[in-house]
This record gives sequence, C-alpha cells and structure tokens, in this order.
Amino acid sequence: MSAIIETSGLSRLFKQNRAVDNLDLEIQPGELFGLVGPDGAGKTTTLRLLAGLLYVTEGSASVAGFDLRTQPESIKPQIGYMAQEFSLYAKLSVLENLRFFAELYNVSKTEQKERTERLLTFAGLTEFKERRAVHLSGGMQKKLALACTLIHQPPILLLDEPTTGVDPVSRREFWNILTELHLEGTTIIVSTPYMDEADRCSRVGLMYAGKLMVCDTPQNIRHQIEGELIEIFPDNWQAAHQIVSTIPGVLEVQTYGEALHLLVEDGENQLPKIETALKQEGIHINGARLAPKRMEEAFISLIRRIESEAEEIADE
Amino acid sequence: MSFRHIWAITRKEFHHILRDRSTLFLVLITPTALLLLFAYALTVDIQHVPIAVLDYDRSSLSRTFVQQITAGEDIDLYAQVETIGEIEDLLMKGEVKAALILSPNFSNDLLALKGLPLQVIIDGTEPESGVFAVDHIAWRAEEFVNQAVAGQLQAMGVPLDTLQPIDLRIRTWFNPDLKPRNDLIPGLISMVLGMPALSVALTLAHEREHGTLEQLMATPIGRAELLVGKMVPYIIVGLINVVVIPIIAILWFRIPFNGSFILFFVLSAIFLFSILSLGIIVGVFMPTQAAALALSFLVIFFPGFFLTGIFFPIASMPEIMRLEALGLPGTHYAVITRGIFLPGVGLDVLWPYAIMMTGLGFAFTGVAALFFKKKLG
Repeated sequence: MSAIIETSGLSRLFKQNRAVDNLDLEIQPGELFGLVGPDGAGKTTTLRLLAGLLYVTEGSASVAGFDLRTQPESIKPQIGYMAQEFSLYAKLSVLENLRFFAELYNVSKTEQKERTERLLTFAGLTEFKERRAVHLSGGMQKKLALACTLIHQPPILLLDEPTTGVDPVSRREFWNILTELHLEGTTIIVSTPYMDEADRCSRVGLMYAGKLMVCDTPQNIRHQIEGELIEIFPDNWQAAHQIVSTIPGVLEVQTYGEALHLLVEDGENQLPKIETALKQEGIHINGARLAPKRMEEAFISLIRRIESEAEEIADE
Repeated sequence: MSFRHIWAITRKEFHHILRDRSTLFLVLITPTALLLLFAYALTVDIQHVPIAVLDYDRSSLSRTFVQQITAGEDIDLYAQVETIGEIEDLLMKGEVKAALILSPNFSNDLLALKGLPLQVIIDGTEPESGVFAVDHIAWRAEEFVNQAVAGQLQAMGVPLDTLQPIDLRIRTWFNPDLKPRNDLIPGLISMVLGMPALSVALTLAHEREHGTLEQLMATPIGRAELLVGKMVPYIIVGLINVVVIPIIAILWFRIPFNGSFILFFVLSAIFLFSILSLGIIVGVFMPTQAAALALSFLVIFFPGFFLTGIFFPIASMPEIMRLEALGLPGTHYAVITRGIFLPGVGLDVLWPYAIMMTGLGFAFTGVAALFFKKKLG
C-alpha cells in the first residue's frame, strides 16, 4: 500500500527559527498517528503545513496523492482539519455551524440531512443542536468542531490537540469517537500532550525542536527506554529523590506528584535494596512496586536524553 | 465562483450582523447618528446677529433705515448707543458682533444722491457673524438707496414707469436660499452611507483573530467567493440606509430631493460595492481588529471627509491630492448625491461618475482577492 501522507525533507522556517526541520514522514492509509512532543516542538506547524495553511520553506510533501506545494486546493476536500483553538462561529448554533461547513464542502442537501443527524448522535449533541456554539461546554465545542470536520467524510483527519483543556470524561468520549473513525478506515493524525492518548495510537512520532526524533508503535517506544520501572511512594519525596539518585543501578528518577518512578537495571533485585536504603535514612515508604512502563516514562526519558545530547553538542 | 459558497458565507455573515449588537449598531445606526451630528455641528446658518447702532443723524430717514435693516431674522438691534466708547464696550464684552454708525450727513447725502455715508465695525475675532452683518447691511443699503433715487426722480417729475431702473440681482441657482445645509447634507450623506466599509474591514480581521479564518482556509472555499460573500450582506444592510438617510434629509432637514430616487438607489448600490471593496482591502492586510479600525480611519473615514470635496473643493487641492481624491469612491459619489438632490440631474450627467465607481470597485476587489491568500503565513 502506498502512503497517503508522505513528506520528504519538509521544513518551515519562521525568520531564523526552524519550526519544522527536515521532516520525513510516511503515513499509511488507515493509521491513527499520534504526534507528541514538548510545547514548541513543531507539532502545530506540521499539522498546518499538511493542511496547506502554511507556505513550505524547503522539501516536499504529498497528501492524498496531491502535491502540497502546487495543489493545496485539491488537498482541502480530502482533509478535515481541526485547529487547536476553538475556531467555529460562536454566534451560530450547532446545526448552523454544521450546515455552514457542509455547504462549503459541497455536501448535497439529502446527504447533509442524513450526516448531520448521524454526527449529532455520534457526538452526543442532538439535544443541543439549537444551542449557539458559544454556550456549549469546552468538551462539547471540541466534539462539534470534530463533527464539522467530518461533515464531508474526509479520508484524512488532521487534529491539533483536540482534547487540550477538556475534562477527563469528555476526553474519553472524544477518543472513543476517534477509535470508531479509525476502525472505519479514516487516516488520523492527532497531536496530543497526553501520553495515555499517545498509547492509543497505532504509531507515535516524537518531535523535538522541529525534528522527528522517534517514530514507532507505542509498544516499541516503551521498550526503547532501558531498564524496568519501580514506583515508590515515600513520605518525603524530595529527600528520597536525592538518596535514590545515588544508588548504583538506578538509571533515571522521575517525579509524579509525591511518587517517584525509577528506571532500574534489574527491578526484582533492586527493589528491596532501594527500600532498605531509604529506611536506613529514616524515610518511611507507603508503598513500592514494580510497574509496567508507560508512554509517559518513555516520553520523559527520551526527551531528557535528547536534551542532554543537545547540550553536549552545544558544549563542544 | 460557486454561488453556493458565496451564499453560505453571506448567510453566516447575516447571522453575525443580526446577533451581534455592536455590529448591528455600527451598520444600522451609525450613518444616521453621524449625519445628525455633523449636520448640526457643521451647519453655519447665521441668524440673529446682535448689532449696536450709533445714529448721529437722528432723522426719520435714518430711523427708517435702521428699522429696515433690523427687520427679519438676520440682524437684531441689540442697543441704540450714543458714543463710540459704548460701541467699543459692547464689542469687547461680545454682546454685539458688529456696530453700525450713521454719519450726521446721512439724510442730506442720500437726498443729494451722493451715496450713503455708513460705517460698520465688526468683531474680527468672530469674522463669520461680522462679515455676515456687513453683507446684510450692504445689501439693505443698496435697496434703500434705490428707493431714495426713485423717490427723488418722482419728485423731479420724471414718470417712473418710463424708466427701466437698473436691477442687479445675484441669483444663486439650485440652492436659492444659499443655505449651507442644502449643499452640505447631500455631501455628508455620501460620507455616512460608506460607514459599512468599516464593519466589513473589521469582520475579516475578527475572523483572523478568532481563528475562524484558519478554519475557513482549510476548506475548499475560493478566495473571491469568501470576499464577495462577506460584502453582500453589508451592501444589503447599507441599502437600508440608502432609503432611510434621504428620508431623514427630506423630512427633518427639509433638503429638496429633485432627482430620481431609483437612480439614487442604483448608484448608491454601486457606491457601496466600491467602498466596501476598499474596506475588504483593509481587512485583507490588517492582522487585528484594532489595526483594521486604525487603517479604516486613515483610508476610508478621514479621506472620505476631507478629500472627497464635501468641505474643500477638489479643484483647490494640490495635484497629488486631486489624484488621490479621484481614487476614492466617495469623491464620485459626493458629486452624485449632490447632483441628484439639488439640481436633480440624471444619468446623462452622472454616468462618468458611475463608471468611475464601478471601475474602482472591481479594481479594489481584484487587489483584495490577489493579495488575500489562503495561508496563515
């Protein structure tokens, strides 16, 4: 199968800043591709480039078989783009917004009626269809925005942090919808700051400083980082953090609230040693266990590694 | 161009206008409010100028003369004084704007047909009223002398009906009362009807600020479709004012409307198209509403005021200003409103201006569509 989205050396400069730097990406039809990375990594710029909203500085790309530089208008009917900020018409009702975009995408009247009903049910907005968009909750606004990008049944969806600022229940509902679309065969590229969401993607690209650093399945990314994960809940996490960092065999320490996540070489052997070391220093432990590695730990570990490498290069 | 896309934008924009009170106010009420404001602030209908009179002659002729001058609404006799000192005092206090001094030889000279020995002193700090008083007195004096000459001739036994007295009358055409309003208000109308251009400049910047333009850019809508679709509702709302504003001018300001209303309506629609295109250009180039508003004032509002010949004759402008004036739709529309209101001329006279406005409209829309890209940067 040939790629539905393909970029080669795609770059975009804002003055001297390379917001997207030499991006090589290949996305197959039907993929649910997650784009992760710290703020300012270039996720939004990448999605805007693919949606034809920004001029390409260097490189080339094709979306749905059309050249991004020369045929952006042929790409537009093939994609549904959802910007990070709410970008619908606040003064129009849910139905009016849907109808507006249906008209712009030349959806026939009969199809409009059928699709509108289906999308409203799909997004759980049927009882709010007369409500103006400005009066919807944040989660409902996001679902309406998604419904508007789906009205023309595009084969490709480009979603820029669709769940940022949304409550956990709405977030889950939103992802259930995305999963359904994924199952129907829609190609989805979604950027997200949430690692649990990245875990639900078929493939994840990690961006840093405009570059695609890692691009693999969540499972493979989790296994890319070395060591096993130990989770401990000490009384005094600041002191505990200092102590465990000095224990040999502890590769990395990450804090999660008052919990510490340690990446260690050999979990089974290391766990009792760490517990003893902390007790010796008079730190009470409320719990400690071996845990499966998540995207979260992998992400932080990868970013740390990339940052220290970048510093080394800068030092030289 | 897809009419379906244009209509989608137009309908959306109508919803926006009708549901947003500030926009509705800006497009519907502002033209009327501005017309009333400027008409009252700028109309210089001078009446009831207070004057002082110092009559050294004290004859029945001089008394009659003073009576004739102060009859009517134009000049009021504020005080009859005895000395020059009193005049100075009244002028200094600003209680009178002018003073009339009749020489002791007033009736003698008049009857001897040696002219009319008068002196008028005016307050130079407020020349409008003073000059008005001088003109009024001079005009009345001429009349008075004519009457006296006729009386003398009669006394000499010359039968009056055999004579053709010289009758010099200055006639002002189209605006016989020489009321500044009759000329000013049709000019003002040409300016206030262009106000929706500000709204249309703001609406594009509004979409940019609120991210809805980004969403639109991701759809297959054509650039010209978007711009035209945005203009149509403001043309329609503007046409409501094209009906309302002349009614106010006719009923409230008593401005004669001598031309064809249908012609006025059609040419106004063309004007709206061209001035809104200018507004669209502003919206295309300006990133925020604040910037769009500032630029609108610079290229639409102020030039509409000062360069379109409403207040200052275009012929007396430097050449570069004259050229700029020609590029403003308001310049041509001001000729049209004035022409249709007062002399009531038709298309046979106004067609060049109509063509200029149409040309400017298409040129502006073309420039806007050319520079408006479906890109964020």
